[in-house]
Amino acid sequence: MTETESAETRSDALHPDAAVFSAGDEDRADGGETPPAAASEATESATPEGFRGTLRHVFVVAVTEYRLAVRSHWALALTGLFVVFGATMMTFSGSAVGPEGAERVVASLTSLAAYLIPLSALALGYDAIVGREDEGWLAIVFSLPVRRSEVVAGTYLGRLTVLAGATVLGFGFSGALLVREFGIGEWTSFLGFLVGAVGAGGAFLAIAVLLSTVAREKTHALGAALLVWVWFVLVHDLIALGVVAAFELPDAVLSAFVFSNPVSAFRVLVLSGLGTTAGGGFTAVLAGSDLSTASLAVALAAWCLVPIAVAARLVRRRRL
Amino acid sequence: MRIDASDVRKTYGDVTALDGLSLSIPSGSTFGILGTNGAGKSTLFRLLVGHDRPDAGTVAVGGSDVTEDGRRIRERVGYLPEHVGFPDGLSGREVLAVHSAIRGLPRDGRTARAVERVGLTPDEADRRVSGYSNGMQRRLGLATVLLPDPDVLILDEPTAGLDPRGVDEFHAIVEEITAETDATVVFCSHVLPEVERLCDRAAVLHDGRVRASGSIEELAAAAPEPGDETRGDRRGRRGLRAVFRAAVADEPAGDSRVDGVEVTS
Repeated sequence: MTETESAETRSDALHPDAAVFSAGDEDRADGGETPPAAASEATESATPEGFRGTLRHVFVVAVTEYRLAVRSHWALALTGLFVVFGATMMTFSGSAVGPEGAERVVASLTSLAAYLIPLSALALGYDAIVGREDEGWLAIVFSLPVRRSEVVAGTYLGRLTVLAGATVLGFGFSGALLVREFGIGEWTSFLGFLVGAVGAGGAFLAIAVLLSTVAREKTHALGAALLVWVWFVLVHDLIALGVVAAFELPDAVLSAFVFSNPVSAFRVLVLSGLGTTAGGGFTAVLAGSDLSTASLAVALAAWCLVPIAVAARLVRRRRL
Repeated sequence: MRIDASDVRKTYGDVTALDGLSLSIPSGSTFGILGTNGAGKSTLFRLLVGHDRPDAGTVAVGGSDVTEDGRRIRERVGYLPEHVGFPDGLSGREVLAVHSAIRGLPRDGRTARAVERVGLTPDEADRRVSGYSNGMQRRLGLATVLLPDPDVLILDEPTAGLDPRGVDEFHAIVEEITAETDATVVFCSHVLPEVERLCDRAAVLHDGRVRASGSIEELAAAAPEPGDETRGDRRGRRGLRAVFRAAVADEPAGDSRVDGVEVTS
């Protein structure tokens, strides 16, 4: 084995692609025959081989994005941010009129996360596609035998893994302090918060990837991401509260207000689990709306999936 | 693999990039595309790899329509865009590993061979791309193109930004590929001597149409300049330059066919 071949083997062994390679692709002939060009992509993806290929492409892109985010210190920065803000909130804050004990802390963490998580997710995702195009990487990747939608999905999943990891580790530190302070019995309410936070982060990351897909320049994507944050985190709640205060609205409209904002869905999801309205604002108004945990979870999941599905569709039209 | 473009039209807003372009590139040939800026060269390449769809006409690689079978065609095509870039956080070898994994290529030492072939040292290949010079990035780009042993190589101004040594090495790589494989190599360039040296055929694009095409010998002989016959081996170069001038002129030298070369307005 030559020195260069040895180095390649080392690189591949360390690379997650090694797992991909071992998943049945090694039997492919080197420089084999040109495949017949009869079946459409849709037909092809319906076959087991096509499905395996799609999974491989998404996985490779996701692993690459994850690796890049870790190396650019995004993962460390987000984790540190969540640790610092979470610990500060636990130390110095707490709702004066909300629940007591651990639930009060979780309610306070929810209020913090409602601002912090969307901002972090949007910052992490706004350059996902347009940034790669600026680098010159997107044109190269799109010239490979991969669907553009697979690149979008892989990009989202890779960055979502970074965000979810940072959320769990960063706020997990607060959770550890919580358990130490109030005992393991309070872990359940914190777990609900953690799951909701990951869901809200996933929703805003999906929106960011969508913005990145349609934006022609990174600055446009950044500006749009900031507007999205202002709308969902600051303005939407105020408007909803005003409308609810001014009119007698049926429950269905209240539910629509919640479902139309992932931040509201996250707040109501976590706080309804605590049996409190300590989040204040529009969330307090929703105390009696009887939204089920399942419906709120579905709403957050939809906020994750729909923007990515739209991005996967629109990226086909993107001109490089 | 043979490449055929037939009456291809492509507009971007008010700009007509390709205006009824028709072109045939024989399998196994080394084909140079010449043209001024905005002639439609990069647009043609984007259509060939499925980055874009023609508004009208057909583009086929190996007999398959790119708009219908783009992904399958890209399995056999290596494309190096004009502006090459890679994520800063990856090493050169990792970039190649990503390409290899997406293509589903076997681990048979091809990454090391590609690195060696384009003149990157193992140490350079292990370095982060952020530390690469423009020339090294283009070499890495070329390595990604060579990785799958493609049937078709499409290279968009591959020597732009390379120093003279890099240009020489690129020429040597293309000559090696031409000699050792049956791959069809298509590249565009502004450098006439480069096309003369590397290509057996060429076409001149202007205003989104093919204004002249043929073998290098045919093109060189098509429009000799006065005194060329006394300049020995420089005759071909001056002839190719004259064809190029005539083809890109607003009023071409005339609609004519000279020794199999078509120069049309």
